[in-house]
Parts: sequence; C-alpha cells; structure tokens
Amino acid sequence: MDINGNDARPTPRRRNRSALISLAAAGSLLLAACSGGTSADGGGADPAAPAGGDRTVTVWHYFSDDNQVRLMDEFAEKFEGEQDGVTVENVFVPYDQLNSKLIAAAGAKTGPDVVVFNGAEAATLALGGALAPLDEHWADFADADQVSESVVHTIDGTTYAVQGYVNLLGLWYNADILAEIGVEPPTTMDELETAMAAAKDAGYAGITLSGLPQSQGEWQAYPWITSEGFTYDDPQADALAAGLARVRSWVENGWLSQEAVTWDQTVPFQQFAAGRTAFAANGNWQMGTAASDADFEYGVVPLPLSATGGVYLGGEGQGIGAFSDDPELAWEYLTSTYLDADGQLLPAEIVGSLPSRADAGESEVVTGNTLLDPFAQTITRFGANYPAAVIPPEAVADVQLTVGQAWSAAIGGQKSPQQAAEDAIAALGPLLD
Amino acid sequence: MTTSLAPAAGRAGTRPAPGPRRRRPRQARLLFLLPAALFLGVLSIYPLITLLRMAFSAVTAATLNADWAFTGLDNFTAGIQSGDTGAALSRTAVFVAVVTVLGMGLGLGGAIALRTSGRWSGALLALMVFVWALPPVVNGSVWKFLLADTGLVNTVLLATGLRDTPVPFLYDQHWALMAVAFVNSFAVIPFNALVYRAALLTIEPEVFEAAELDGAGKAQQVRHIMVPSVRGTTLVLLILTLVYGLRSFDFIYVMTYGGPGTATNTLPFLGYLQAFVRYDYGLGAATSVVAVAGVLVLAVLYARSIRNEEKHG
Repeated sequence: MDINGNDARPTPRRRNRSALISLAAAGSLLLAACSGGTSADGGGADPAAPAGGDRTVTVWHYFSDDNQVRLMDEFAEKFEGEQDGVTVENVFVPYDQLNSKLIAAAGAKTGPDVVVFNGAEAATLALGGALAPLDEHWADFADADQVSESVVHTIDGTTYAVQGYVNLLGLWYNADILAEIGVEPPTTMDELETAMAAAKDAGYAGITLSGLPQSQGEWQAYPWITSEGFTYDDPQADALAAGLARVRSWVENGWLSQEAVTWDQTVPFQQFAAGRTAFAANGNWQMGTAASDADFEYGVVPLPLSATGGVYLGGEGQGIGAFSDDPELAWEYLTSTYLDADGQLLPAEIVGSLPSRADAGESEVVTGNTLLDPFAQTITRFGANYPAAVIPPEAVADVQLTVGQAWSAAIGGQKSPQQAAEDAIAALGPLLD
Repeated sequence: MTTSLAPAAGRAGTRPAPGPRRRRPRQARLLFLLPAALFLGVLSIYPLITLLRMAFSAVTAATLNADWAFTGLDNFTAGIQSGDTGAALSRTAVFVAVVTVLGMGLGLGGAIALRTSGRWSGALLALMVFVWALPPVVNGSVWKFLLADTGLVNTVLLATGLRDTPVPFLYDQHWALMAVAFVNSFAVIPFNALVYRAALLTIEPEVFEAAELDGAGKAQQVRHIMVPSVRGTTLVLLILTLVYGLRSFDFIYVMTYGGPGTATNTLPFLGYLQAFVRYDYGLGAATSVVAVAGVLVLAVLYARSIRNEEKHG
C-alpha cells in the first residue's frame, strides 16, 4: 500500500468508513442511473430561447411508428406552410420517459411549446405543473362546439388539453382464415370463442392482445372485464375475476399465447399481420400497418362484448407546455393542425384515427373507409371515458398499473384470476375513495 | 487556489526548515482530491441526501416541485404493509444469488480458459469485450428475441426434439426471474473474466512448471494455485457483482417489465414503478433506500474482509 513512497495506508477504521461512503455513493449513483433519467434539458430545441419566442414550435411526442411519425411531419409541414418564418421541431421522447421529463422540465421552468401525450395521463401532467391552462383559448375558439366533449381534458375545473382524434380497440379478423374454417366475423362472445376453437383446430392461433403489466394492459383489459360487469364506480372482485378468468381460459385452451404478457400493443398486431392468427384485439391506429404488412383479406368488427362492456375512447391529448416561450404560437399550431377540420383528416388518412370534430367525422375520408365504420359503431355502442371519471386525477396512474398487473398476473398464470382480482380490488379500495 | 497556498507559505517562514517541505505535498494532495470530492459531492452525496429526504416525505407529481411534507416512516410502512417491498426483497435475493454464482463461477472459468495466449483466446477475448461494452437495452432486446417462443433458443430446442413445447422463458413467473437473472449474469461474465485473467497473469509461470514437475494435473493447478492466488481479486469482484445484481433494472425493464404480473419486480424495478409510473416519488425513494441499505451492508462486509485479509495475509 505504498503510494508515491508515503505510507498512505489508512487506519482500518478510516478505511472502513471511506469504503462505506464510496460504496454508498456508488450505490446511489447506480440507483439514480436506473431511475429513468429526468434530464430537464428542454429537449432538442432551444430551451433558453428568449421570451417572446423564436418562431419555433417545439413539439414533444412519443411516436416511433412510421405512420405516426409521418403524421407529425405532415402537421409540421402544414403549419410551416401557413405561417411565415415558423419552424416546427418534433422531438421524440420515449413513452416511459415523457411524463417524468415533462414534470422535471417544469421544475426547472422549461419545457416544450406543445405536448402530445397519452390523453389518459392529462391529470398527471396537469398536477405536475407541466401543462398550461387552455381555458381562455378554448373559450375564444370559434369551433369549440364542433369538438366532442369527451375529448376535452378538464381537471379540477381547468381545461388543460384537447384531443384531435379518438383511438379505440376493435376486433380485427383474418378473413381468409375465417373463410377457411367457415365462420362469420363474431358478434357475441360465444361466437368469438367458437371461432377461436375452430381456428386452433385448423392450425392457427386464436387471438393476439397485450398483457403487459402496465397502463397498456389496463387499456386492453377494460373491454373484457367490463363485459363481465366490472366497473370502477362499484369495483367487485367477482366481476373482475370473471373477466380475467375468461381470458386466462383462452390461454389454457391454446387460443392465446401466454407470451402476450411480454407484448406491447405493437407486437401482437405484427403477429396478426403475419397471417397465422384469426383475431387481434387492437386499435384503429394499426390500419397503416395492416395495409403495408398483411397480405391477406382482413376486416374489423366491434369487440363482441355484453351490454355492460366498455371500450375506452383513447388517443393522444394535445396541450401547451407550462413554460412554452410562445404560447400564442403554440395555440395557433394546435388550431391549424389537431383542431382544424382539414387537419383532422390527416390522422384519419395516415393513421386511421377517428376525428374528434363532428364536421371532420362526416368527411368522405371517414365515411368512405369501411375499416373505420366498425370503430365508429363501437363509439356509439361501447364508448367509455378514458380514464373513468370516477377515478381521482391523482390516482389514475396507480389504478392503471394495479389493474394492468392483475391482467398480466392472470394471463401469465402468476396468480389465479380470483386471487389477482381480490388483490387488485384490495389495492383499488383506497385509491378510489 | 493560490490564496489557500499563500498563508501556508507565510506561516512556513516561522517554522523549522523541514516543515514546508512536508506540508506542501499534503496540501497539493488535497488540491488533487478537490475535483473528485466535488464530483462525489454533486453527483453522489447530494442525490443521496435528496433521496433520504424524499423517502421520509410525501412527494407526488403534484408536490415534486413544491415543498415536501415530512411524513416520518409512512413511506416505509406503506411499502411493507402492501407486501410489495417484502416480495421484491425476496425476488432480489434470488436474483442476486443467481447473478453472483453464475457471474463469479463462469467469470473465473472463462479467465482460466483464456489464460494462455493464442488466436482463439484472442478472438474470444475480443468478443467478451464487445459483449461487456454492449448497452443493456440492446443486449436485453436481443435476448428477448432469442428467448421468445419463435426465438433461436426455442427453435433449436424444438428442432432437436429436446422439448415438445417452447420453454416459457419470459412469461412463466419462475422461468422469467431465472431468465432475466441469467441474462444479467451473461452481461457481467466478460468483466469478471477480464479482471480474473489479469490476476491470473500475475502468477509466475515457474509456479505452474514446478507444479507440473510434481505431477499436478490441470484440476489440481486450478484448485491449489489459481484459486488461492486470486483470492483478493475474488473478494473485490464478489462485492462488485453483488452490487451489480442489486441494481437489476435495465434488463428487467426491457425484457419483462416486471411481469408476468409482478413476478420480476425486484427492488430497483419496484422503486421505478412507484416513482416513475405511479408518480409516488416518496414511496419509490423509500424502496430505493432499502436497496441502498443492502449495498451498505455489503460495504461493511467488504471493509471487514479487506481488514481481515490484511491482518492475516
């Protein structure tokens, strides 16, 4: 232990302590490194731009799918074409990091001009101070009455975000396989299960869906559990267990792969598009993928739910960043793209989303698309607010994770459906009070 | 910096001649320590204090940027009462055990195999450095493909008739924990092997020659020469591997997201879910503090073992 000829050997006690401190420091660093990163750098744009604006609209989003990225580019092009000297900068932030980055950025009094985020998480962002109130803009917006109220995100009396479109789940079917096994697209749960059994006998998989233990799982679980009578207004373990048990039985019958617990919503649709699966519980936003990847006849019907069933009306919320350097320009961007009648046709064309404006919904782009029609029917028959209104804003993320984990635990066989349901109900109790 | 040196020089004049010569290097040493201390303070001590403060406060998305209300041990009791912390602790223990046993055993095995220089060992060494340098997200994604039902591993198992059905690597609760632990070990083996190899290379070749003359076989050489010679390295690597296992986050995040259900929720991943998915930063910080406490226990053991080593070594 000779360092530079000096006896630098620390006493055992001191060595002990310094080892402790350095290891503790290393440990905390490692843990901090694990925690998803909360850099508050304001994104790829220039966060230090002077107040009053640099005529650049920075838009944070989490899209990585080709069609969705194209939509962002087209929106940017549309707005830049309508305004002189304005640049739109789309900045990709991974979905799992978007909210924490926005909240951390708000803490540092910076952030993007426009945020495109999971509409269900509006409360998290609004309570975290990442979104600017839209009340004044919304009150002055001439076309506000065209926009469906279910897509306006109001938290504790203040409007923070609006959605330019609605996304929801439907039942995609492989028409070639259904023709081969001689069944019609199902309209009831019994018909669906009979068809899946027949598909399996013919050597195909029955259905694909996502069983991921997080909010995507909860979004996918909602139709099936509400179809058995579950509601957040009066959450009962038996109803939840019945929904979970039904889907678990699909795994046990070999109609659904247990591997679904590792799939987000993109993977199961790719599986479906590969042509060896009869059905996919997936969204309207997959139309582009279906058109490019599926070399078979396909169609969509509403999910075959009971009268109590609900399908979330999801999609991305659009709001203005709390620390936007030019909120007026940001609002102009929104009214020229997401909230504009022509602008709303772009997501319908490119991604297959349903416009949230009544006039855009009557356009030929929407009414002439046979794949969009079943989704439009679903809105009327099963449309449910996302998240359920009864869930307190601060508990939304918690509730989604709890139910997503129960869904995954039941599909993956970690718990029996009854056990998963009872554990989830016990955890939901204090959250919903 | 000159101001701190100036008074010392001034005082030096009143003292006996050898004084300044002894003083200066010590002050210079402190100066050299300054950048490291600064970085440690800003990047480690401050976050650690913030983490502790957060663990004893109610912090949510709504209050993150405001004042934090002190709530004592509430976050810890909430974690324990929900059963999440206890379950995550036992999963972490299993995980760390698998990572440590595989990481240490195969690391030493790899080092012994790569001890001699040659074309193959050179190529293998290069490959190991590549694996070690691979970002965990890339590594994890590749393993997720390999271990899927239609992935390479299951395809080979089915084609060779070793299995009738695919192995549920990532979607059965027991397999999933073992699979992510295995992949975690896989990523640490190259590092351990490289460090072990460096230690093995310090053994004089004459020792092996003498052993061979005495009739010692390969196994005996490993047992009686190599393993005792790398004991010091083993202790250090053991602690590093344990800490590496304790921070098991990235592979779980990429490969299972803690699922199926909660089957692969280890302490760091649970902390992530609580802080960054549920936005209960206080609860997440409390879980992380439990993990840091685990690291501290290891640190004490490490310090003790080093001390014993020096006493008896």
